[in-house]
Amino acid sequence: MVNPKFKVNFFKPHTDHAKANMRLIILLAIIWAVCVFGFQFLLIAFNKPVPEANYLKFQQIWPNIQTSQADADITRNFTKITMAVLGKNIALKAPHKAVLDETLSTLLLKLLPEDQKEAFANDPLEYLNNNDLHSVLGLEKSGFDKLMYDLLPTSLVKVDNAELSPQIIKELPGIMELYLVHNRSFLTDSKFLGFPFHYWYTAQFLLILFVGLCCIYAIYIDRLNKKYDFPD
Amino acid sequence: MLRKIYFMLMISLFSAVLPVWAEASSAVKLEGDFKVGPAIILIVILITFIMVGLFNRAKDTSTYWAAGRKISPVGAGMAIASNWMSAASFLGMAAIMYGSGYHGLSYVVGWTGGYVLLLILMAGQIRRYGKYTAADFIGDRYYSKGLRGFGACLAIFISFSYCVGQFAGIGIMFKWVMGIDYTWAVLIGASVVLAYTLISGMLGVTKNMQIQYVIIIVSFMIPLFILTYKYGYFWLVPQVGYGNVVSDVVNGLPPGKGLSVMGHDFGILPSPEFAMPWDPATGQTAFQWIAICFSLMIGTAGLPHVIQRFYVVPRARDARWSVVWGLFFICLLYWSAPVYSAFGKILSSNPEVGALAKDAIVVYTAQLGAVFPLIVGLLAAGAISAAFSTVSGLLVAGASAFSHDLYYRVINPKATEHTQMLMARIGTILMAVSVAIVALLKLGLIAQLVAIAFSLAGCTIFPLFLLGIWWSGSNRKGAWAGLIAGTIVSLVAIVNFIVSKYGGQLPGQEMISYYLNAWYFAWLGAPLAIITNIVVSLLTKSKTPAEIEQFLAENVHNY
Repeated sequence: MVNPKFKVNFFKPHTDHAKANMRLIILLAIIWAVCVFGFQFLLIAFNKPVPEANYLKFQQIWPNIQTSQADADITRNFTKITMAVLGKNIALKAPHKAVLDETLSTLLLKLLPEDQKEAFANDPLEYLNNNDLHSVLGLEKSGFDKLMYDLLPTSLVKVDNAELSPQIIKELPGIMELYLVHNRSFLTDSKFLGFPFHYWYTAQFLLILFVGLCCIYAIYIDRLNKKYDFPD
Repeated sequence: MLRKIYFMLMISLFSAVLPVWAEASSAVKLEGDFKVGPAIILIVILITFIMVGLFNRAKDTSTYWAAGRKISPVGAGMAIASNWMSAASFLGMAAIMYGSGYHGLSYVVGWTGGYVLLLILMAGQIRRYGKYTAADFIGDRYYSKGLRGFGACLAIFISFSYCVGQFAGIGIMFKWVMGIDYTWAVLIGASVVLAYTLISGMLGVTKNMQIQYVIIIVSFMIPLFILTYKYGYFWLVPQVGYGNVVSDVVNGLPPGKGLSVMGHDFGILPSPEFAMPWDPATGQTAFQWIAICFSLMIGTAGLPHVIQRFYVVPRARDARWSVVWGLFFICLLYWSAPVYSAFGKILSSNPEVGALAKDAIVVYTAQLGAVFPLIVGLLAAGAISAAFSTVSGLLVAGASAFSHDLYYRVINPKATEHTQMLMARIGTILMAVSVAIVALLKLGLIAQLVAIAFSLAGCTIFPLFLLGIWWSGSNRKGAWAGLIAGTIVSLVAIVNFIVSKYGGQLPGQEMISYYLNAWYFAWLGAPLAIITNIVVSLLTKSKTPAEIEQFLAENVHNY
C-alpha cells in the first residue's frame, strides 16, 4: 500500500515548505512568461504597417511611371526610390534585386540624352566608368545620395528598351511594399539608451530579468530550505 | 593549480604573439589566404587546453563522468557557460540577426530564458536525485531498462544533431584560417577536434572549460571595444553603446564621419527591416518568433549535456547557484552578439563588399572594421574554442550514453571499467565521423541546425524530467506514450525537413514546413508529449513503485 504522504504532485504539496516552494515557482514562472511572451503579444497588438516616406512617394508617382507619362523629374525621383530599396542589399532576395536592377537601368536609359543611349545600352558599366551620372540622376555627391550612387556598379544591367516590361510593371508594386512597409508602433518608435525601445527590451532587458529571476529564486530557496531544515 | 594554468596560458600566448606579429598582415584579406597569425594563436590555444586536460586527469570513472563533484558554483557556472557557448552562440546568433533582424532575437531570448525554467523546475532536484546521466535518471525514475536504452539513444541523437552545427562552425572557421575549401576545412577541423577530445577526453574537462570560457569571452569582447571606439559610439560599455548603431541602421547613416570601410564610406541607407519586429522583408512571422523562442527554452531544460552539468557539483544548492552564475556568464556573450550584427550591417552595406557567409559575419565584421589582424585572429580562435569546448562535451555526453547507459547498463552489465572506457572511445570516433559527414551537407545555418537538437530534447527528454520530478503519478506506460508522441512529432518535422531540402514532395508539406518546422517543432511536440504522458498515466492501472515515490517525496522534495 502506497503511503499517500509520498504522493508528489506539484499542485498538491503536503508540507508548508513544499507549498512555499510551489508559490515561488508559480510567481516566477508567471513573471517570466508575461515578460517574454506578453511583451511580444503587446507588439503584435500595437503593430501597424507603416510605410517609409519612399513608399508614399512611390504610390504617388507609380501611375505616371507605369503609363510612361512621367517627366524627367518624376523619373529621377523614381530612380532614387529604386536605389533606396537596392541599398537594403543584405535583406534583398535575388529575384527582387534583379527586378530592381532592371528598373533602375531602364529608367536611367530613359533619362540619358538620345545620343548617349546606345553607349549605355551596349555596356552600362563601361559607360558608368567614363561618365558622371550625378546630374542625370539628380544626386548630390554627399549624404545618402553618395551611398546611392555607390550602388550603381553592382546594380546596372544591360537593357535595350527605355520602357519598363510588363513583368516589371506587374512585380514592382509588390516588391516596393515588401521592403518599404514596416511593422511599427510607439513601442518601436520610442528610444531607450539609443535603442528602439522594443529592441532594447528584448535584446537586453529580458536577459537582465532572467539573471534577476534566477538570483531571486536561488536566494529564496536557500532561505526556505534553511527555515524548514531541508538539507542541501 | 588554477594560477599555474593561467600562468602557462599567458606564457603560451606571449610566445605565440611575437612570431605572429610579423605575419599579422596576412589576416587582412576577407577570404582565400592561409592566415599564419590566427593559425598560430589557434594551435597555442589548443595545446594549452590539452596540457590543462592532462594536468587534471581523471583517476576513475566517477571523475570521468562527473569530474569528481568537486567544483565550486562559480567554477561550475563558468563550465556551464563554456559548455553552452558553442559556435551557435559565438557565430550563429549574430548570423541570424544579420540576416533576419529582430527575428534573430528569438534565439537570444530562447537560449537564455530556458535557464529560468531549468533552475526553478529542475536543477536542484536533478542533483538531489543523484544520477550520472539523463538516461540514468529516466531508467531509474520510470523503472524501465527499455526507457533507459531509448533515453540513451535519444541523448546520442541529440548530441549528434547539436554537433552537426558545431562542426559546420569549425569548418567555416578552419576555411577562414587556412584559406581552403569548406569540405577540406570540415574534414581537417573534425580530425583536430576528435584528436583533441580523445587526448583530453573528460579528463580535466571542467577545469578546461573555465579557461575556455575566459578565452571565448575575452576574444569576443575586445573587438567590440575597438569597433565602438573607432566608429564614434559609446565604447566604455559597447553593449550599451551599440544602441545608437541599431538606430543608425534603422534611420540610415549618411557618410560624414570621414571613416571608410574597404574604400567605401561608413554609412547605410535607412534599413528599418533590421530592427522592426517580424518585418515582411525578412519573411519571418510573429508565430515563428514565439515558436522558436518557446522551443529553445524548453529544449534548454532537456538537453542531456546541460542536465549532466548538474551532477558535477557537490550539493543541490551548488547546482542552483551554478545555474545563476552560468546564466550570468552566458548573458555576457549574449548581450554582446547583437553588436556584431548591427556593425556588420553597416560595414557590409556596400554591395561591392560582396555577399558574405552569414555564419562568419562576426569575424568579417571585425575584418571590415579594420580591427588589428592579430585580434581578428584571436576572435577566430575564440570561435573555434567555443565550438571545441561544446563538441568535446557533446562527444563525451554521446559517448557516455553509448558506453555507460547503452552498453554497460543494457547490453553488457558485466563490462569492466577498461571495456567501458574503450567503448566510450569507439563511440566518440563513430560519432565524430558521422557528424562530419552530415556537416558536409550544409543543411542550414549553424543556429538553425543546433535548434533541431533543442526541439528534439524539448519533445522527448524535457517532458520525462518535468513529470518525473514533479508528479509521482507519471508511470512507465505514461512515459512510453509521451515519449512516442514526442518522437512522432519530431520524426514528422525532421523527415519533412530532409525531404524538402532535397526537393521531394510530401502531403501537407507546406503546412508542416511552417507549423512544424525543424527549428521549432517542440512548441507542439512538448505539450503533446506532456499531455499524452499524463492521460496514459491516469488511464493505466500500473503505479509508480512505492520506493521511488518515497525517494521522490523525501529526498528530492520535502513533501
